[in-house]
Amino acid sequence: MTKYFIQFVQSHEEFRLPELESLAKIENVKISYNREDYKKNCPFLIIEIDTEEEAIRLVKRAILIRNIYELWGTGKSYEEVHTRVKAKPERWPPYNYKSFKFTVSAFGSTCSSDYQVGIINTFAYLGFKGEINLKDPEVQFGVLEDYGLDPAPPTEPYMIYFGRLIASGNRDLIQTYNLKKRKYIGNTSMDAELSLIMANQALAAPGKLIYDPFVGTGSFLLTCAQFGSFTMGSDIDGRQIRGKTNRSIKSNVEQYHLRGKVLDTFVFDICHHPWRDNLWFDAIVTDPPYGVRAGAKTLGRKNPSKRSLTTKLIDGTPAYEEENSYPPTKPYEMSEVLSDLLEFAARFLVLGGRLVYWLPTVVDEYSNSDLPEHPSMRLISNSEQNFGQWARRLITMEKFKENIIGDRANIHNVKGLDNLSFVYKKKDVSPNEEEITNTKGKKKPGHYLFREKVGLVEI
Amino acid sequence: MRLVAHNMLQCHVKGCNSNNFPLQLSNVEIEIQETDFNPMFLRNILPKLEWNALVKTALQINITTLPNVLPDTSTDDLDDEFLKMLHRVLLETHIQQGKMICPNCNHVYAIKDGIPNMLLNENET
Ligand SMILES: [Zn+2]
Repeated sequence: MTKYFIQFVQSHEEFRLPELESLAKIENVKISYNREDYKKNCPFLIIEIDTEEEAIRLVKRAILIRNIYELWGTGKSYEEVHTRVKAKPERWPPYNYKSFKFTVSAFGSTCSSDYQVGIINTFAYLGFKGEINLKDPEVQFGVLEDYGLDPAPPTEPYMIYFGRLIASGNRDLIQTYNLKKRKYIGNTSMDAELSLIMANQALAAPGKLIYDPFVGTGSFLLTCAQFGSFTMGSDIDGRQIRGKTNRSIKSNVEQYHLRGKVLDTFVFDICHHPWRDNLWFDAIVTDPPYGVRAGAKTLGRKNPSKRSLTTKLIDGTPAYEEENSYPPTKPYEMSEVLSDLLEFAARFLVLGGRLVYWLPTVVDEYSNSDLPEHPSMRLISNSEQNFGQWARRLITMEKFKENIIGDRANIHNVKGLDNLSFVYKKKDVSPNEEEITNTKGKKKPGHYLFREKVGLVEI
Repeated sequence: MRLVAHNMLQCHVKGCNSNNFPLQLSNVEIEIQETDFNPMFLRNILPKLEWNALVKTALQINITTLPNVLPDTSTDDLDDEFLKMLHRVLLETHIQQGKMICPNCNHVYAIKDGIPNMLLNENET
């Protein structure tokens, strides 16, 4: 195995390793790294992979990985780095006559261009004779210094990494799916970056069928289809699916040229769904409404005694046939949503299929044992996106054994969540702001990604 | 709604548990929309479909290209021509408008602009 180092983005830290593991599974690449080497406050991770071809495949659809480098040398000082690089001179000759580029960057600090040139010159012993090409080099080398995230950075880096750039992740997709450029969005549309990460967590891949039972405006239909999966969605609120003239799930599908992949959307309530019994889905990817957002309702009346026994007619047509009819609804308690969702997944997912969904939590009250369980489903990852007093967690589960009729989800630990004494309101999310670039163009870890405001409202 | 989806859905009115599939098409408007051929997806979904129901439904809209018996799907060598024909039927044939009627309880599900409304009225759930 060869040593590489990954440069992650410094945001969504709890999502980075789960995504890496998912990518390794999708691409069937064997990776090995020391779990203790991984630090939330550091974007670098040394990892072993068999071949360069595999390293390229591993990151090609990564959202939270910027780059992967073949590791030539690392250390707490340049002396150490150079000693390691010089220990393997057999690595150098293939690049002797290639056009090349050197970059020097500092995580948690800045470095002047004079400093960068000075550093580059210390690598002169590599003896590369090719021309320097800053725009389109045949080979690129990177020196990456880690100064950490303390408000007052140390004078010397904690660690220095030097290597040959192998490949970059696919963060351009975040711009492609940017909500600001998307024709049709709603106030529940998930931002592009997280929607893409979810598609990776779902192991979305060509030929698979992925379903969103709370489809809303259809963000996940798009991002899962982006990676080749075929997608379907349903929602109790057909108005969200249909949108308005020229602005609908359909227009988004056209906008992203995914007509062949986003198969169909349906209007029904997942509590009373018409799916035939079968292992239809390779993954279920969803952001359930949990009774705190628009449309978070399930069919039925609060008071069953008031049920009407006859079908209501509108101009002689049964109400359910009227396009704009929206049937009576009642609040959909969080514990009910979760048990419906887990039991649905256990029943309709293929073996090995994944359920990827969001779970809102109160930060002070949350403990890992709160997570919903099902005898057929096992937890793969649990990544928190923190908003201060509350958070949401992206839960990834895998169906690891066949569903037995009568098996129930275990939600009892979440019962407190039905009593959540607040609702949350989402304001617009501005994607891709995890870094500010200063005037000299050097990158600096910036403020936290989300401007999402949390409105705490007593019920 | 594509024919592949039609094959996945059944009537779900409370108590309607047998002979509730396939939903019968009525007064439908069909549209063909060409899309890229993907044999991987077809091989994935094909063994899960109810072939007889598919043939029956296809005949309701005058599609006569499907064989009465599905060739062996357990092997990888379903020939491309057959898969392309299936691609046309399952993925390129859209029911844009019309109704789906339950053969058992006669419940009517409307399809409008390609989206089936399968919400039930409150006395039906
Ligand atoms: Zn029926």
